[in-house]
Amino acid sequence: MSHVVLDRITKRYAGHTALNGVSVSVEQGEMLALLGPSGCGKTTLLRCIAGLTGFDGGRLTIGGADMAGVPVRKRPIGMVFQSYALFPNLTVRGNVAFPLTVRKRPKEEVRARVDEMLDLVGLDHLGDRLPNQLSGGQQQRVALARALSPRPEVLLLDEPLSALDAQVRHRLRDEVRRIQHQVGITTVFVTHDQAEALAISDRVAVMNAGDIEQCGPPAEIYTAPSTRFAAGFVGNRNTLELDAVDGRVTAGGAFDVEAPAPRVLCMFRPEDVELAKDGPGARAVVDVTVFLGATTRVYAQAGPSVIFADLPSRAAAGLSPGDEVRLRVAADHVQVFPA
Amino acid sequence: MRRRVFLGLLAVYFGLPLLAALLYSVATRWTDTPLPDGYTLAHWTGVFAKPDVMAALGRSLVLSAVVVVIEIVLVVPAAYWSVVHNPRIGSIVQTISVIPFAIPWVVVGAGLQLVTKSVAPELFGTFWLLAAATAAIAFPFMYRAVESSLLAAGAVRLSEAAATCGAGPAATLIRVILPAIRGGVVSGALLVIATAMNEFALAKILTGVSYETLPLWSARQFVSRTLGDPNALAVVTIFTFGLLFALSALVVWLGRGRVSASMATAPVQKGITP
Repeated sequence: MSHVVLDRITKRYAGHTALNGVSVSVEQGEMLALLGPSGCGKTTLLRCIAGLTGFDGGRLTIGGADMAGVPVRKRPIGMVFQSYALFPNLTVRGNVAFPLTVRKRPKEEVRARVDEMLDLVGLDHLGDRLPNQLSGGQQQRVALARALSPRPEVLLLDEPLSALDAQVRHRLRDEVRRIQHQVGITTVFVTHDQAEALAISDRVAVMNAGDIEQCGPPAEIYTAPSTRFAAGFVGNRNTLELDAVDGRVTAGGAFDVEAPAPRVLCMFRPEDVELAKDGPGARAVVDVTVFLGATTRVYAQAGPSVIFADLPSRAAAGLSPGDEVRLRVAADHVQVFPA
Repeated sequence: MRRRVFLGLLAVYFGLPLLAALLYSVATRWTDTPLPDGYTLAHWTGVFAKPDVMAALGRSLVLSAVVVVIEIVLVVPAAYWSVVHNPRIGSIVQTISVIPFAIPWVVVGAGLQLVTKSVAPELFGTFWLLAAATAAIAFPFMYRAVESSLLAAGAVRLSEAAATCGAGPAATLIRVILPAIRGGVVSGALLVIATAMNEFALAKILTGVSYETLPLWSARQFVSRTLGDPNALAVVTIFTFGLLFALSALVVWLGRGRVSASMATAPVQKGITP
């Protein structure tokens, strides 16, 4: 029996459907990422699990218990908000202790648990600070400690990293994963950042327009997107709209794959593009090169379209704008969908 | 330059009567000369020794205190509910909160008098009717101050966070929301006190001589010139002005640096200022 089960959850607002019969389940101790563009319903789905938003149809169970009619405060959840939502008048310790003190736990237990939580998130030296004396990253650690302190069954994270700057975001992302593993808590994590979702979750659910398009392990989502939307959203792919000839598309010799329709969309990731001085492939002219450290992104004009390729910087060193090259993509790296 | 002249003229226009009242409150005799004949603090010491002045001051303070309690108990939860749980109430309350500014308080008082006479005659002329009526006209000050600080504090998000922490509505309001909007409640309370201390029309109509507040006492001095004590009136005028000015300054000081929590800057003075 899965730990959190969402069964055909539907939510309508006046005029539009936010969730269109979403079904997904989360296993005990698993981390599921809800990934999608803004407005896809991922935050609404998370809020439905928390009980902050009601849904019109479907069923939600946590640990086998039906959550219908269970108010937010009685649900076995802990939640972290994008805007931290720390209580401004309480110190760090006061915030982390809050879920325990409202449950009227004995003082000794509260103190011990707060110590343990602050140690877990690495803030044991800042217990007496007020939230406005902390950096964004520190505030989000406090929020995480507060969410975990009452030992909830499920941890809900609503874009917890998106208000932070890049360096802090990456560090805290890995930290969230470490803490989640250490505590072993079932977690649902909402994000619009594919790198974040792929990096730290056990499974990723790609959402679009109130539906889950594809749900699977990060590697599967990345290498084998099953829908056109998933392919376009994850992996930053090149997209070409091409006509089939005799049931096949060739893109001027760059690849040769079977076409399911007369007009198709071909998608492939930039790291799967090979550029060579000669040999087989489509004729292309190097347009711009962008040095990214370990890799270099090369934009090349091939016929009417611009293709971008990520090459190891050593391999790209010999290429300069205006060079004529041959461009090819292995057929099994090309996803084809009817246009 | 023109701006300065304009502001200067404005300052003279508002300042001159106050200056005159101040001089009169410390004058020995002042009849047909440009300045008083001599100066004394006797009126100041004398006024606060007068039993009727002290009683009126006491009544005004009691009225202000009761009205502030009513506002905090009624308006704070209402504002919280409208901001966090049901924004639709907000637009209704916003509309209602214009009424005390749109309708003269004399009309409000007369209306209340007519209604209580027929509906609850036992309330007629009592302190509690006056307190309720004053609370009704002063509530916009509290509501707006509390509403803006709720919005500034992000009360919706804080309430959601408190709920996910396991807190019920009462614990959320008392332990999370109230401490976060303390500044707004204090500002609102100061504006309410200023209104209640200064209110004349309702007290005149609803209770009259049976509950003589400081503004009523002042008006009596003014009307019955032969019986009254004009120097004492000047002292009370300057004293009330000083008190209200200090309260307003405190409100501004509390709201400093918080643009989003801008406190209601609507005029505090309304009705008859002695």
